[in-house]
Amino acid sequence: MSVGENTESPSSNEDTRRWFLNAMISFFGAVTALGVAYPVGMYLWPRERKVKGGGKRSMKIPLNDIHVGGAKFIRFLNKPTVVLRPSETQVSALSAICTHLGCVVKFKEASGELQCPCHGGRFDSSGKVLGGPPPAPLVSFPVRIDGEYIVVEEA
Amino acid sequence: MEKETLVFGPVKITNKYLIQGFNLINDRFGIKELLDDEVFEKIAPGHLGLWSCFGGISFFIFMMQVVTGLLLMIYYQPNIDVAHASITKIMNEVPFGWLMRGMHAWGANLMIVTILIHMSKIYVSGIYKAPRELNWIVGVHLFLLTTGLAFSGYLLPWTQLAYWATVVGTETPAAVPYIGEYIRYAMRGGEEIGQVTLTRFFAIHVCILPLVTAGAIGAHLVQIRRQGIAGPC
Repeated sequence: MSVGENTESPSSNEDTRRWFLNAMISFFGAVTALGVAYPVGMYLWPRERKVKGGGKRSMKIPLNDIHVGGAKFIRFLNKPTVVLRPSETQVSALSAICTHLGCVVKFKEASGELQCPCHGGRFDSSGKVLGGPPPAPLVSFPVRIDGEYIVVEEA
Repeated sequence: MEKETLVFGPVKITNKYLIQGFNLINDRFGIKELLDDEVFEKIAPGHLGLWSCFGGISFFIFMMQVVTGLLLMIYYQPNIDVAHASITKIMNEVPFGWLMRGMHAWGANLMIVTILIHMSKIYVSGIYKAPRELNWIVGVHLFLLTTGLAFSGYLLPWTQLAYWATVVGTETPAAVPYIGEYIRYAMRGGEEIGQVTLTRFFAIHVCILPLVTAGAIGAHLVQIRRQGIAGPC
């Protein structure tokens, strides 16, 4: 090394910068890789949940929640579902997804009908089509009154 | 003792396991020289700008279409009774299914745009001239293959839009004199659009056209490498 030259070792300086850049590249590379791996992994992983004991999934609603002639919207099997009580001893549980184009139906208490707000499909309390474009009745679930509760079961 | 290093252009690798792993391959296939010549020590011409990037961008989108397409095939069912339901399931129930389908659908549209920009650049700059005429011809075929992929993929969701687009798209070649009727018959797999049509469009979309396109892309890239990138015009 000649006199007057910068005595600070350039290699150590460069090493520090190199280390920093390598660390940054590795870090952001890892973040990017995770950002791709997570959605793809979640997408590929099967989601069908096993029912314990092999039985069917069911849901209990207090009978008092629904007055005679009324209806209650619930989330059953992770989908909008409506439970209706047209008379004291009669209950029905229907998928609230319109069979026409998949909108969620509304309950009209005055007529006791389910109506679809999208294209005016109409269903009675058993899910039968009364009018409008729906090609099929609403999917219904087995349901019964069990003491103080209404029990809805997976079909 | 001096530390062993592996040099790829600006990248220096000192990790002995990475070096051992690379040598495992390199000792048998001698890829270091090839990688240096074709990738790491290769100098791109200085006149390349934004407009020169669209061929590469199109290729990148093609690779994205392959990846997202393979992922969509995991859940899609090519059956006219359940095809639309399986798409709805991908969109609403499968985690990130909306992302995969969105990327695939948007990628399809963007790929047409980037290819048209790429073709415009090649045309305006006169890069299609000798000795690159053959590559222009391969490129035009690649564009046609891409529109074929777009058309065949459009039917797969089995929506009203998809169905009627295919009615129109198969009716158009029927106007060709003498053989038009036969083209329509072959495309539909019968007189009407139905399950047979969906099955053959599915096979064409996910297997036949992607393989042909990948081969044509290979031919396109080999010619670029042999002829070099065109100079400033």
